[in-house]
Amino acid sequence: MTDALSLTAVPPGLWRETIGGLGRRGGLPLSLFAAAGPDGFPEVRCLAETGDGLMLAVCPALDGAVPSVADVVPALHWDEREARDLHGVVFTGHWPHRPLVHHPADLAEWTTPVTGDDVHQVAVGPIHAGVIESGHFRFHCVGERILHIDVRLFHTHRGLEHAAEGLAPDEALPVVRRACGACAVANSVAFADAVEQATGRFPDDATRRARTVLVELERVYNHANDIGAMCAGVGLAPGAMVFAHAKERAQRIIHDLTGHRFMFGAVAVGGSGLSIGADAAAGARGALAALGRDMAAAWRALLFDASLRDRVAGAGVLPHDEALRLGVVGPAARASGVGRDLREDAPRLWYPGFRAVLPAEPVGDVAARMEARAVELAQSLALLDDLLAGAVTPGSVTTVDSGGRHGAGRVESARGGTTCVVELEAGTVRRVHLRTASYANWPAVARAATGAILPDFPLVNKSFELCYACVDR
Amino acid sequence: MTGREAATLGVQLAGLALAPLLAGGVQSVKARLQGRVGSGPLQPYRELRRLWGRSAVEPIGAGPVYRAAPAVVGAALALCVLVVPVATVGAGWPAGHDLLVVIGLLALARVAMALSAWDTGGGFGMMGASRDLSFAAVGEALLVAVALVASIPAGTTDLRAMWAASSGPEVWAEPRHWCGALAMGLVVVLETGRQPIDNPDTHLELTMIHEGPLLEYAGRDLAVLQWAAAARHWVVLVLAAGLFLPHPSEIAGGLAALALGVIALVVALGVAETWHAKMRLLRVPPILLAGTALALLGVVSWAAGGGA
Repeated sequence: MTDALSLTAVPPGLWRETIGGLGRRGGLPLSLFAAAGPDGFPEVRCLAETGDGLMLAVCPALDGAVPSVADVVPALHWDEREARDLHGVVFTGHWPHRPLVHHPADLAEWTTPVTGDDVHQVAVGPIHAGVIESGHFRFHCVGERILHIDVRLFHTHRGLEHAAEGLAPDEALPVVRRACGACAVANSVAFADAVEQATGRFPDDATRRARTVLVELERVYNHANDIGAMCAGVGLAPGAMVFAHAKERAQRIIHDLTGHRFMFGAVAVGGSGLSIGADAAAGARGALAALGRDMAAAWRALLFDASLRDRVAGAGVLPHDEALRLGVVGPAARASGVGRDLREDAPRLWYPGFRAVLPAEPVGDVAARMEARAVELAQSLALLDDLLAGAVTPGSVTTVDSGGRHGAGRVESARGGTTCVVELEAGTVRRVHLRTASYANWPAVARAATGAILPDFPLVNKSFELCYACVDR
Repeated sequence: MTGREAATLGVQLAGLALAPLLAGGVQSVKARLQGRVGSGPLQPYRELRRLWGRSAVEPIGAGPVYRAAPAVVGAALALCVLVVPVATVGAGWPAGHDLLVVIGLLALARVAMALSAWDTGGGFGMMGASRDLSFAAVGEALLVAVALVASIPAGTTDLRAMWAASSGPEVWAEPRHWCGALAMGLVVVLETGRQPIDNPDTHLELTMIHEGPLLEYAGRDLAVLQWAAAARHWVVLVLAAGLFLPHPSEIAGGLAALALGVIALVVALGVAETWHAKMRLLRVPPILLAGTALALLGVVSWAAGGGA
């Protein structure tokens, strides 16, 4: 077992060095949030990779303030803004504070000032002309050229994390899962992993295999959807239609296997109730193989579509160093040449010998993000082909140690690494924090679209295809 | 008015009512090609009926320019439909049948829409209008170049004479005609606002061109503007079929050839829109310029051949 979570108390004076210096020591900060400490006073917690396992660093907010690390770890910029808005923790040195979850009416309070000759603003949303979730984008442009984008999400903040507090883990699971439909499995598994780690339990082989099947099925229908969405973004109907069809086929297979198109209820805390007979597994395996062949053929057709290549090549470039700086995850990171994939080291799931795949030319443009989906689709279908070779049986968990109060779960969702940190108290959830891949990647959308022309923004946005709901949790 | 003139006038008046069928036809062809059933070519009529029954709301602070735009655009396009003849004869009314009048009326409609966007100051309206005008700066040069190359055999821009001069098989022996036909293809895509230049079906506000200013309108005003967009289809498709597709000079055969030509162009638009993704916005002006150059090449080839 390689996923022990070490708890480290850090005094405010050492906070910047502890978190900001992680990169130098081969570590990586993953998420930062505020919570009530054992004595009821607020504290800030940061989950990080240290190079030899996971660390939960805790810093008390003396007088309600903690030193900011957003300047040295830009990936935690949103986390600090959210912690301030939701928990009132002040981050000393984080200036100016622009509200993220709060929506002040005054533009100057939350937008970046952009001035100069002929600079104008174009505001889009939160209500769009199509069926799109609520998000407001304020473009600062000269002509058609985008200089800067201010993104305002959280229009449908539901307080799910707060709603889960005080509930038993199996009651809290449906609440956390509700964060997002398209990432329901990844979020559920991350929560279940975190709870099991906090209670000193470890899933057995059957549970790990069952959860891996679900996570990979979710990736297949999401990636099919995302490739189709990019085609729709440039008005290429044949690509959009064939991948919409593929997504529907995938979801029907999923429905047959789990009884729900989004696999709601298929993940449980402390075991797995998923049971797929050998016949059903063989049937799904055949259907997925056929789907894979059709998608591969459709993808080859798209590779030779000159009008599509013309739009996606070179559009919305996210450079490699920017992807690293912003802590981008998932296919978007791999398209920029960041070869990280949580599946390479996932002891609580079933990925023996897994290696991340990157697009042939990971230059960070829309074409690379599109190709990242295509190569991962083939990889996921191969994994499923192996996992569904036999029946999927119900599983349980084994107790390995006495556990602690805290647990962390990490799952590579279709959009990238999703992190869930749980604190338990007397068998109930005291604090749960869910940081999804969409949360990690939204700032990168604004970065990638900077310098693009306005009519290319929908395409750049769709090449990340992030959830709003995963953020507005 | 002779019987033949009355017959062609009847077709032109019918064009006012038939125009939405063309837009619906393109949508229908697209749906079939994309594996959808689609809502049929009559869908634009249902849309118009639905919109006509609704009250118009206007943005706060909208002025007379905004209010006048649907009437100006609708009237300009109605006049266009009546100015463009459907055969080598046409009713002799004061508006005449001059191609330059058609170009002027299309420009008038464009300006009225741009001014309406300016009046309300809506972001998407302004954005769409500014793109439309940017394209028009090149697109109108293209239109005039096509008018020039098409008017050569008749020696006039009277469309009835141009209709007659472009009939029969001989005209296809001239490179001038081929150059003009290709350039006219670009005019058709530009003026109908279809892919790869514009996407009439999009819900992505940031990519809109012709749809942008329309976002500010509702009810009857929107119905008029949607009809005008359909009428644009009629005007440019009839022009393209009459000037650059094979047709005989006599009336009955000419009308039949025109009907077939327009249907062929509707199908071609549907195929092009399915087959080709929307172009990157900044690529459009160079392509329009290339079309203009092609039309001018046609003129040069005619002059080089002795101007016969």
